[in-house]
Amino acid sequence: MATRRVFISQTLGIAVLGGSMPSFLAAAADAQPLPALGSSVDPRNVLLVIQMGGGNDGLNTIVPYSDDAYHRVRPAIGIAETSVLRIDDRIGLNPVMAPLDDLFKDGRVAIVQGVGYPNPNRSHFEATQIWETASPENPVSYGWLGRYLDRTVAASAGPPDPSALFTGVTLGDTVPTAMIAQRVDVPAIGALNTFGYNGGKDPASKTTAGTLYDGARPGQSPYLSLIETTARNAMRGGDLLKSKIAAYQSAITYPADPFSSQLRLAAQIIGSNVGTRIVFVSIGSFDTHAGQRAQQDRLLGYLASGLHAFYADLQAHGLQDNVLAMTFSEFGRRVAQNASNGTDHGTAMPLFIVGGKVKGGVYGEQPSLTDLDNGDLKYSIDFRSVYETVLERWLGRDSTGILAGNFDTVPFV
Amino acid sequence: MKLDTSTDPQVGFRPPGPLEAGTALARYDGPFTRRHAAHLLRRAGFGGLPEQIDALQRLGAMGAVDAMLHPTGDDAVFADYPDSALLFDPKTRNATAQNWWLDRMLRTRRPLVEKMTLFWHGHFATSIRKVPANLMAGQIDLFRSQSLGNFRTLLLGVSKDPAMLVWLDNRANNKAHPNENYAREVMELFALGLGNYSEDDVKNAARAFTGWTLDKTQNFVYKEALHDDGPKSFLGHTGNFGGEDIVDIIVAQPVHQRFICRKLLEFFVYSDPEPELIEGVARTYALSGYDLAQTVGTVLRSNVFFSTRAYRALPKSPIEFTIGLLRFMNVAAVPSDTIGWLARMGQEPLAPPSVKGWDGGPTWINTATLLARFNYVNRIVKAAPPRPQADTTMAASSMAPPAMTSTAMPAPNLGTFPAFTPDDVVRQAGGLDAERVLAAIVGDAVQDDVTSDVRRTLMEYLQSAGASVPTPFGPENYQEKIRGALALTLNLPSNQLN
Repeated sequence: MATRRVFISQTLGIAVLGGSMPSFLAAAADAQPLPALGSSVDPRNVLLVIQMGGGNDGLNTIVPYSDDAYHRVRPAIGIAETSVLRIDDRIGLNPVMAPLDDLFKDGRVAIVQGVGYPNPNRSHFEATQIWETASPENPVSYGWLGRYLDRTVAASAGPPDPSALFTGVTLGDTVPTAMIAQRVDVPAIGALNTFGYNGGKDPASKTTAGTLYDGARPGQSPYLSLIETTARNAMRGGDLLKSKIAAYQSAITYPADPFSSQLRLAAQIIGSNVGTRIVFVSIGSFDTHAGQRAQQDRLLGYLASGLHAFYADLQAHGLQDNVLAMTFSEFGRRVAQNASNGTDHGTAMPLFIVGGKVKGGVYGEQPSLTDLDNGDLKYSIDFRSVYETVLERWLGRDSTGILAGNFDTVPFV
Repeated sequence: MKLDTSTDPQVGFRPPGPLEAGTALARYDGPFTRRHAAHLLRRAGFGGLPEQIDALQRLGAMGAVDAMLHPTGDDAVFADYPDSALLFDPKTRNATAQNWWLDRMLRTRRPLVEKMTLFWHGHFATSIRKVPANLMAGQIDLFRSQSLGNFRTLLLGVSKDPAMLVWLDNRANNKAHPNENYAREVMELFALGLGNYSEDDVKNAARAFTGWTLDKTQNFVYKEALHDDGPKSFLGHTGNFGGEDIVDIIVAQPVHQRFICRKLLEFFVYSDPEPELIEGVARTYALSGYDLAQTVGTVLRSNVFFSTRAYRALPKSPIEFTIGLLRFMNVAAVPSDTIGWLARMGQEPLAPPSVKGWDGGPTWINTATLLARFNYVNRIVKAAPPRPQADTTMAASSMAPPAMTSTAMPAPNLGTFPAFTPDDVVRQAGGLDAERVLAAIVGDAVQDDVTSDVRRTLMEYLQSAGASVPTPFGPENYQEKIRGALALTLNLPSNQLN
């Protein structure tokens, strides 16, 4: 990691350090791994973060079916009281989420209502950045999970250690901002069979390729160090992961959609003991400006059935008490439907927390549909409270240097 | 009014060393070596064959830039639209549109036109995940028609483009129910940047674009009955504005001029360009009335473009990497599995991750995307080049190579040069001599941009026993060893850099 560390501090670091770096990041810059908070937190715990990209409409996810205002403003896209999966006498789940309802009834799902932040942003990009950096006021370059990784993976001198490569893993082709770290190379794994150097029938080619990135380099491109370090990790890490995962067997059948495939790979990686603490997966697009019902229902169905299979897989391997899954989306959507039977960008939304150790139930209040902020839902729980909860109560790590300020935890775990 | 670059991942990746601001945009009159010509062909195109680099070098620096900017070669061999039966079949439509465009990038005689088309695709990022493939193909045609044209014309065209009207929902934007999606993104992402407009500007611009929608045949139509013709306040101006007024007001903003020129500099020169450099290019852009050929020409002819600070200073995007490889390998048609490889490299054409497009810069580089690059090189270089499929590709109908004109860009490889074979390398090296073979490989593939250590490592590989024929480099195994050494060379950091 040495090369990457030096490189980042010389380039990205200057941009941040020389600018208006928030003080909590300045504290992170001299990161010493912090001690775990208490012995009650299992050091093997894993956080699975699920991004619902595009802005998920919370009101058709957790449906306030008993509220007349809901049916009044959503005449075409509202979900009928008769079809919701009732949680209590006010709210119910979208009926396509029956597999998640099963887990909810077993007490394995927490629903956190009305999650948001002050002065909500309605741009996909900026709102995503806000959620992923946990810094609404000040744009920063590293993600909140990246900052966690920076403070968890011991900074070591010398050549990169492939065994530390999988502490944080992104399943997908690009690393989201949430996982971008200052010191830690977070691999993005699109699929297991493509994550490795394929030298074909020519083993000497692979052996040689494994050494090509160690030498001195020509030129002065600011990208050279990044390419070299990443290439070394790619060469060595792919083999390591494959050899570990080969031992993981599962009898659980996952649905065929791409999101469920990501969850299956997540279970394989978590179950292969490669030191993984954070896995990031994504499902999208929830940006339902038009024709919302068909698109959102399909995606929520994938989410629910995928999580159901994932949980069963964890149970079959005795891992359900060491994995906590958490959803987020950059924003909820407007209260009223638009002219295209869709909804435009809005604000607060519900989050799902799933796991064997989760204290199931509903946390926070369903936002009012009539007491609005510029036509949008008012949030009641700051998203950083959810982050603080998983950092401190699940990952056992003080949020100092990861979150700016202190936020009340939510007792879902 | 200033540019907010806080969310640009390329910030911090500016090359070391000072900018000579006074002369940075003056015409370059230094030596024009083979490396300079290769640099120009990579940045203003997609790279090419050694013969094409040589042809460009013979034109001299300014002649070469002119040939890129004002190509005389005929590109009429390309179909305006993909085969319509395939384009409307749900099973084939996406890949058909994607391959139709990749094929043009591979074979065009106007590489800068296609490169700018790619630039506009990344800029006005629209995705086939939401928009029908036929409309996506139409949008690419629009980008191509104004790729080096006029930005005002382009922005107005984009505002009326059926793909964009679907993508950002302006087709549903009407007086009774304004839809702000396009109005917001046209300012945030397409023309001004965050912080240079207010929420009220978004609302008023949305009202101005009401009634800009699609008819039943998916063509643009202005429906007056749906348009809000009341007075609007927008960026300090007041009037009964329509969409054209919004476009005019936007392009006249100095912050717009810096916004777009900064992005062009990050595409053509290097990451995180200095404010003085942006100002200089923005002056040309504004004085020319938003003329893109003049603006891009100023950049490509400049000292800073040909400077050592700019040389191999940018990471290749996956499409640049892929098309560059196929051009260098003289492959006649884009292999059909390339789309999947591009997705794993992080840049599936016509499918940007969001309306913001691809972040580029350091985000191109992660373990998975690099492995995809390595393995794509291995797949292409170690396999025999695929033959064009006479029955399925448009390439089939246009196999006859167009004649090469004197000042035109070097002709496309198709039919003009044979596809790559190890024998070409041996011939160029003048025999089966390992030293000279490696010199040919490293010179052609990366213009000698390797260290002596790496050269030694490659030589050891070349001379070691082959996998299939376990003898030292020689007549029995040179085919395998040359392909192997070439793949390793193309996987070097130098070839990841543009």
